[in-house]
Amino acid sequence: MTWTLLYLRARRVPLALAAAVGGGAVVWGLCLAFAEDPDVAPTVVVLTVVLMVAALAPTLAGPDENLERTGSLRWPWRRAAHLLAGLAVVLVVLLATLPTEARFGPAALVTRDAAGLLGLTALCATVFGAARSWFLPLGWTTVAALYPQQGTWGAIATWQGQSTDTRAATWTAAVLAVGGLIAYSLAGPARRDPSE
Amino acid sequence: MSILGVELRRSAALGAALITVVIGVGALYAATGRWSGGWMALAMTIREYLLLLWPLALMAGAWQGRREHRAKVGELFASTPRPPVRRMLPVLVAMACTLAAAYLVVTVAGLAWIVTTARYLPLVNFVVVTGVGVLSVVAAAWLGLGVGRLLPALVTVPALGVAGVLLVGVGSLVPPDRVAAAISPVHGTSLFHDYQTIDSRVSGAVAIWMVALAVTGLLLFVAAGRRARLAAVVPVLLGLVAATAVVPHDQDVLNWPVDPVARELVCTDDTPTVCVSRVHAGVLDAVTPPARDGLAVLAKLPNAPRAVHEDTGVVGFGEDRATPQEGVVTIDVRIDRRGRLAHPAAVVPEIVAGLGVPYDGKCRNRHAATERAAASWLLGREPRSDVGVVPGMLAEDPELNAEAVTLWQRLRRLPEGEALARVTAVRDALLVCEDPVGILSGSAG
Repeated sequence: MTWTLLYLRARRVPLALAAAVGGGAVVWGLCLAFAEDPDVAPTVVVLTVVLMVAALAPTLAGPDENLERTGSLRWPWRRAAHLLAGLAVVLVVLLATLPTEARFGPAALVTRDAAGLLGLTALCATVFGAARSWFLPLGWTTVAALYPQQGTWGAIATWQGQSTDTRAATWTAAVLAVGGLIAYSLAGPARRDPSE
Repeated sequence: MSILGVELRRSAALGAALITVVIGVGALYAATGRWSGGWMALAMTIREYLLLLWPLALMAGAWQGRREHRAKVGELFASTPRPPVRRMLPVLVAMACTLAAAYLVVTVAGLAWIVTTARYLPLVNFVVVTGVGVLSVVAAAWLGLGVGRLLPALVTVPALGVAGVLLVGVGSLVPPDRVAAAISPVHGTSLFHDYQTIDSRVSGAVAIWMVALAVTGLLLFVAAGRRARLAAVVPVLLGLVAATAVVPHDQDVLNWPVDPVARELVCTDDTPTVCVSRVHAGVLDAVTPPARDGLAVLAKLPNAPRAVHEDTGVVGFGEDRATPQEGVVTIDVRIDRRGRLAHPAAVVPEIVAGLGVPYDGKCRNRHAATERAAASWLLGREPRSDVGVVPGMLAEDPELNAEAVTLWQRLRRLPEGEALARVTAVRDALLVCEDPVGILSGSAG
């Protein structure tokens, strides 16, 4: 138990969790207060998902990755568990809104985007480091959510903003999710100097 | 000056400006057809892309605002006897200048595309709309600097980015429209017709709101104590109240207002007269020959129309169709992605299609097959489907054209004078909104 607590503290999880859940709660509150339709607009749902994922992104690496790797622990399993726990946080928070008057749904959309974006973020963390891992997911998702494109290639390029019955978008998200999970679990976050 | 130079090199300013230019120009040139129509279309489309650029400036500011925390020099700087404002000023100026320049570079890059084709330049309005855009990105950067310094956590930057998208994007949709117009620089910038503009009172309100946000960012950035940080909330509240007070109440002024000068007709000097709106004046020379060809085809009819005007109505935006003028055919003028006349081949069919009788939106007695058969007889060719000829026509019932061909063949077998009399009868029926069915197919006599 001590190990888990220390791990969570080293990864600044309490702050990230507060930001992710708090950010989701603020958007939910605003939708509850101002939106006339109880089903929140898909664009807002996608942006909320990317907000929560980006808030969790800095936890993907500790303050000193080089030091952390010297611990003789089974890091791959722990990294995978970390990612899956992050996915669980996003899903639990957003799916908990389904019985309320501001629904962040459908569940398939939330699941696809949360999994795909977490995978993409993990992939970026292995390449650019955790501190910069949210750049690409956030930028890509903003464009994709605001200007979704037609056609198979358009659906792949803007998979975050597609409707849930778009197969190409689902496959893209699945590839990113699985690829990110495997790459991050095996390789871990990129090594940077510990100032970040 | 050298401090500013150092800040330019060391801060996120140049990088942010570069990304702004790349995203802005990329977004513009990904869909040139949206803004090839003219100067205002360009200015408003760039304002619409603040959806991407505004959160970007906000994030760049926040990234930069975390710098002292990241470098762990807060305590060191606090011990120096130099006022903090002197230390902050260069980075504020650097961020503001580079982002403003980036916005202007995006504008110039767009102008390069349209400068040869766009004739109508409402200079004041263009400068105001662009100026509010510049002010918006500067305000976003300063607000980001302030928030980044206030909350120097890593998570602040992405959270601000999403908050920025929601503020300018979703904020432009939230009812009531008056609040949306005041708080979102994107509100009212999506183009729904070619004569669209932004009312200067709306621009004024956005400017007030953005100045308020910039002042808040400035206060947060230089504030030392908790009281000063609390005071930073005051400008936001004042700005919101002032901006919503300035915004006009009239719904038609808030959403997609028409620039009356852009909509005025510009005509050819010689007859037969062809007129297009001032914003489309650049394509008048291209419209005139096919439009006159169309009039020449109609001239076989007695009392044929003698002029072609652009249909400058903006239906569905709180306006009824203008009552058709006697002796004038109205056509749509469309601009292609290069700023030239789009679908020039559609001009003649469009003029001849209704036999020169404009559709007033009320008459229910129009009959497409009869009109097409009569128009084809005038043109001297077999009736063809509108698909591929009339822009935007994607599909039509094949029976419509089959019926038109049958009517046209019957018409062709008649003597010239009799056929012309029947086509004229169809035209006269359309003019007074009587049912034209049966005029063409009736037995000779």
